[in-house]
Amino acid sequence: MRITTFRRALGATVFAMLGLGALAAPAAAQGSLNLYCSAQVEWCQAAANAFAKETGIRVSMSQKGSGEVLAQIRAEAQNPRGDIWYGGTGDPHLQAAEDNLTAEYRSPMLDQLYDWAQKQARDSQYRTVGIYAGALGFGFNTELLARRNITPPACWRDLLTPPFRNEIQMANPQSSGTAYVMIATMVQVMGEEAAFDYLKQLHRNINAYPRSGTAPVKAVARGETGVSISFVHDVVTERLGGFPAQFALPCEGTGYEIGSMSIIRGSRNERNARRFYDWALTPAAQQIGAEAKSFQTPSNRSTPVPAEAPQMSQIRLIDYDFAKYGTSAERRRLIERWDREVNSLPR
Amino acid sequence: MTRAADIRFEHVVKRFGAATAVRDVSFHIPAGELCTLLGPSGCGKTTILRMVAGLEYPTEGRVLIGGRDVSTLPPAERDVSMVFQSYALFPHMTVLENVSYGLAVSGKPKRAAAEAARAALASVGLAGFDARLPSELSGGQQQRVAVARALVLEPSVLLFDEPLSNLDARLRRHMREEIRELQQRLGVTALYVTHDQSEALAISDRIIVMNNAVIAQEGTPSSLYQAPRSAFVAGFIGDANRLPARLRRIDADQAEVTLGRAVLRLPHYGRADGDVELALRPEAVRLTTEDDPEAALTGSVAKAAYLGGTMEYTLATEAGEIFVTAPSAAGQHAPGQRLGIALAGHGIAVLAE
Amino acid sequence: MRAAGIAGAAVALIAALFFPWYLAQDGVLTALREIPGWWREADFAPAVLQASSQGRWWLWPAVLAPLAALIAGVAPLPRRARATGFLVAGGAGLALLVVQGLAIGVQGWAWPGLESVFGVLDDRQYGIGWGGSLVAMGLALTASAGLAGRGAFRGDAFTAGCATAIGIGVLLFTFLPLAALLGDAFRDAGGALSPLAAVTRLADDRLWGLGCLAGGPRCGVVWNTLLVATLVGFGTTVLGLAFALLVTRGRLGVALAKPLRWLTVLPIVTPPFILGLGLILIFGRSGVVSQLAADWFGLELGRWIYGLPGILLAQLFAFTPIAFLVLIGVVEGLSPTLEEAASMLRASPEKIFRTVTLPLLMPGLANAFLLGFIESIADFGNAVVLGGSFNVLATEIFFAVVGAQADPGRAATLSLVLLLIACLVFVIQQRLTGGRKSFVSIGGKGDGGLPPALPPRLRRLCLGLALPWAGLTIGLYVLAVSGAFVEIWGRDNTPTLRHLAKAFDFEWTQGLQLTGLAWNSVLTTLELAAIAAPITAGFGILAAWLFSRAKFAGRGLLEFATLLSFAVPGTVIGVAYLRAFNLPPLELAGTGAIIVVCFIFRNLPVGLRSGMAAMAQIDRSLDEASSTLGGNGLDAFRRVLMPLLRPAIIAGLTYAFVRAMTTISAVIFLVTAETELATVFIVNRVINGDYGLAIAVAVVLIVLMLAVLGLAQLAVGRRRIGRRAAIPLSTEPGAAA
Repeated sequence: MRITTFRRALGATVFAMLGLGALAAPAAAQGSLNLYCSAQVEWCQAAANAFAKETGIRVSMSQKGSGEVLAQIRAEAQNPRGDIWYGGTGDPHLQAAEDNLTAEYRSPMLDQLYDWAQKQARDSQYRTVGIYAGALGFGFNTELLARRNITPPACWRDLLTPPFRNEIQMANPQSSGTAYVMIATMVQVMGEEAAFDYLKQLHRNINAYPRSGTAPVKAVARGETGVSISFVHDVVTERLGGFPAQFALPCEGTGYEIGSMSIIRGSRNERNARRFYDWALTPAAQQIGAEAKSFQTPSNRSTPVPAEAPQMSQIRLIDYDFAKYGTSAERRRLIERWDREVNSLPR
Repeated sequence: MTRAADIRFEHVVKRFGAATAVRDVSFHIPAGELCTLLGPSGCGKTTILRMVAGLEYPTEGRVLIGGRDVSTLPPAERDVSMVFQSYALFPHMTVLENVSYGLAVSGKPKRAAAEAARAALASVGLAGFDARLPSELSGGQQQRVAVARALVLEPSVLLFDEPLSNLDARLRRHMREEIRELQQRLGVTALYVTHDQSEALAISDRIIVMNNAVIAQEGTPSSLYQAPRSAFVAGFIGDANRLPARLRRIDADQAEVTLGRAVLRLPHYGRADGDVELALRPEAVRLTTEDDPEAALTGSVAKAAYLGGTMEYTLATEAGEIFVTAPSAAGQHAPGQRLGIALAGHGIAVLAE
Repeated sequence: MRAAGIAGAAVALIAALFFPWYLAQDGVLTALREIPGWWREADFAPAVLQASSQGRWWLWPAVLAPLAALIAGVAPLPRRARATGFLVAGGAGLALLVVQGLAIGVQGWAWPGLESVFGVLDDRQYGIGWGGSLVAMGLALTASAGLAGRGAFRGDAFTAGCATAIGIGVLLFTFLPLAALLGDAFRDAGGALSPLAAVTRLADDRLWGLGCLAGGPRCGVVWNTLLVATLVGFGTTVLGLAFALLVTRGRLGVALAKPLRWLTVLPIVTPPFILGLGLILIFGRSGVVSQLAADWFGLELGRWIYGLPGILLAQLFAFTPIAFLVLIGVVEGLSPTLEEAASMLRASPEKIFRTVTLPLLMPGLANAFLLGFIESIADFGNAVVLGGSFNVLATEIFFAVVGAQADPGRAATLSLVLLLIACLVFVIQQRLTGGRKSFVSIGGKGDGGLPPALPPRLRRLCLGLALPWAGLTIGLYVLAVSGAFVEIWGRDNTPTLRHLAKAFDFEWTQGLQLTGLAWNSVLTTLELAAIAAPITAGFGILAAWLFSRAKFAGRGLLEFATLLSFAVPGTVIGVAYLRAFNLPPLELAGTGAIIVVCFIFRNLPVGLRSGMAAMAQIDRSLDEASSTLGGNGLDAFRRVLMPLLRPAIIAGLTYAFVRAMTTISAVIFLVTAETELATVFIVNRVINGDYGLAIAVAVVLIVLMLAVLGLAQLAVGRRRIGRRAAIPLSTEPGAAA
């Protein structure tokens, strides 16, 4: 009986060990960098590979929308998993800076950047920096508009005209940063009251406010809607994907996003994160975007810009006040006003 | 071959929620006896068996096996084996695997276990059936495998839960003889649950009759048959007529009981003077003529049935309807015929309640 | 009891002596391989060295408690004293470890009060790794053995161990995260406790508004959710019933019945989003149907698919199979004798169906309806693709978490509402199916009867419903699958293998190089699903055994809690997990383990239910026989029930695997670069508009899962099932016979 007891104990022990051993976590190399990337996945992948090849640091990249990354960083604030957050529209980066989720860092590369990129860094007390910019504009489906005999829009005010009834899509600002950039742009172009008047009139011509910022341009590409309010580089991507999509830039002037990069506060691999940060601001690294068919304007002045990309120098850009419109309070106020005064109207 | 152990229940109560299955039951079964728990379904007999097995624990009271308090010991730690009503043979194991299961789980080496299992199978007459699956056996063979599986552990107590109820009548008689013979040979204590009174009478050293969660009466088969204490026991074991009579105590145990024209001396079982009921076995009478002076009662034949060796009559008498049997060789009586009923001197008792 | 106690103590002691106590950032194997002398490093040392030479005195219990338990196990003690030893050593050790884990975190003392008592702590600790978890598990096992030895769980250590494992598991991985998340509902935007915040959010017009009834633009999201769920529940039940009746009684012939069955499997193995995309391609504004309508009739169908109709259609496709699977069991289980009896009483076939068959099916129909309802309110993928401006709770929660206006409090409040609805439905369903047995009468007695054929009119109705639906399903899948093999889905139909190559490319330079984009995620998914599936199935069967066979206090509560996690929507679980497991001592976020755990506890209820159903068909006397023959709980489980339950176990295994492969909403927040799952990969490709790549990966997944299902069918089919049927397994009530 005694022997049985011990044999059983031994058996149970071995079994338990084996069973639990099956859970072994995947192995990884030493000297690593956890990269949260909110740019297009091909771009993210290419950037991660290039950096790894150049430095020998093992990069584990995870591509998610900027909203998701912000939510994740917030949830992990007390014990961060990510080291650096690369790409994605600037507002969430500014919000993260405001909420003390990201770390201050002055890269020696800062001098080589365009003013708007440096300003982004200054506005955030050097917790984030611009890596690319993209202008807001219209995307439209050339085939669909031709079939319905509609002239493509050229100005913001064109969108209010009857031919565009039920033909326009913009994202829902409650969930999309793109749509918020649009509202903030209108406020800065027209003044707040006039802007909301405009949005109310526009509401009648909108057929849906999808949740994701890129959904409207996808809908344009697939002929589900005639016109979208989107970042114009996204339209270029669709066009190169073989869809009849074309972009236009509003004659009244337009706002833009600054794709940004931040180091996450309290990261475990901060040294590697800084190394990536500096690297990502070099012309060589910034070219990767265009190679991966993303046509934002890079922030380093010496990065060559491909011909397909919208040329920032030819766009009538407003002097977008990222410092003011990037704060949570202002953002919340405008979005709530939009929801109350515009979104609740019948169409 | 085994050391038989006695079983003792001390004021055992078992409740399932609000329902009481066993109410304050005490009994003692000496080592080496075969005791039957007999009663209608729902009387608590299976619950008692399961408490001996360790499949249920008593709510109150103690269960002792071989003098050891086992009230809350799990089955594996009691020295008991059980034969289930459904046999509960493991359908995915061969006969040999089934029988050697108990040895295997207690850590006996494989070869020794198989050897012991073969011996047990041989003792129930199933040598050579090792590799069969239970589904390839007849009902009686399955039953024997179940017995062999219980025996191979050489338990000090063997439990049977209505083991014969799934067999046909002929096989049932044969198997009950085998079980009795086996139990006698091994000298093991056995507790046997059944609701079949003839099965109980045939194999038991002792019978405990249960009714409504309590023991109605216990004793040897013949004492229960000859002297049932209650109408329930009288009716449950064999057939019995209940007849009104008058009782007068004459000494400590005995009383003078008047039934019709007859006056009998019977144990009074604590009944006071006055009206009582008697239990009368159908075969404990002699049919005679109406004017026979020995006839205690008279009546006319209401129904008569011919059953080969015996006749069954229902007689309408001054004490009510009486059911009697008589050898058919003694002559047959037609309905309407008037008869006298004489008492045979046995098979009659005062009912205590 | 003794064996279990010693085993637990031994596991704990070995782990405390030799396993790294803390979680290794890059995985424990790497650390052991690449760091020489790892046992001397503060981050990797086992408990005994942490305590003795790293100054982490609070880890001494991890060494001493198992030692004490081991001594209690080996020393010549009476049973009860030994049990007490196990209980005290295991319980106290575990309690001390929990306390130290909670008290000392990444930034030293976790509560400010402790600093004033003990002074500043110049140390910090990360989450527990192998060492810590194994010690805790071992001690829990020892303590449960002690409990069993003292008479709890009817003295059976195996029962005690199972109940403890499942109890702790459910507590840690279902209750704790939900409690943490729902706590957020009572905090304001700044994180301060404020019951008022919850009330304000709950009273929000966006939840409960009824504007749409009065011609307004929108109704509250709660009403939207309930409307969709009711319609989907009703629709799936009707369709499922039509299919079930046709397959069992439609006299269809094998040629039609078998493909119909397989057709119903397809949506179960389809990764999320694919159905929604297919629907857009058919019914969208530029879809096949709209184009034809415009070309032939000059009709402009427009964008009707976006919103309620689209969500409804997609969910009907996705969840009808579930209703079918429930109802086919019920229809097959109906004893034909009852219907034959009715026909002997001169009832016409239609009358029989209306007065006998349908009432007998009622509990099953209600069950199917509620399942469809629950699935619908938890569905995220279809609603996000096809919702347009029509919002339901699942999408609202997602965007409250990730949207531009990230508002965890609102997400928590919405989760609370969703959870309450789900629980309510769940309780109703339990009442219907759990308390009173349904009328299903699977005849152990072997009814000789034949199920009657459907009345002709009903048969026509069923065919009228089922055949177009089947046609639509086939069309949808053909179109969806074709997306993987054409240049641009829906535009440029030149056949190509470009997408497959992009996803699964490989080359032979210095060995095999997997250069395709999808390799990492698909392999990770396979690995994690393969780890999770056996554990899920095993746990499910153990729990089923525990809840249907073992007797112990608190069983009902534990059963309810285990089943409850089925009702919790995936998005809620995902957010809650991230919220709860980001901090020590259970710092699982970012590891593969959190995904595995999430799979296990999400899918456990399903395994549990099927296990209990299978267990109900095995006569209790078989386990009792085992225990009177000297076997303990483990013997009965391992030697008797497991072999008999093999088909159920294989089914559970397959299902757990498939669910793990297709789940999205629960894990979207839990994946990292290391642990990216195929479904998340697909979703991200869809969001980026790279449909070809997304569908290519989805097609490969579908083929993989169908292969697994086929193998499982083979494995089950090869069993000699007949030999069990021959044994009379009468189900005797057992208690008071």
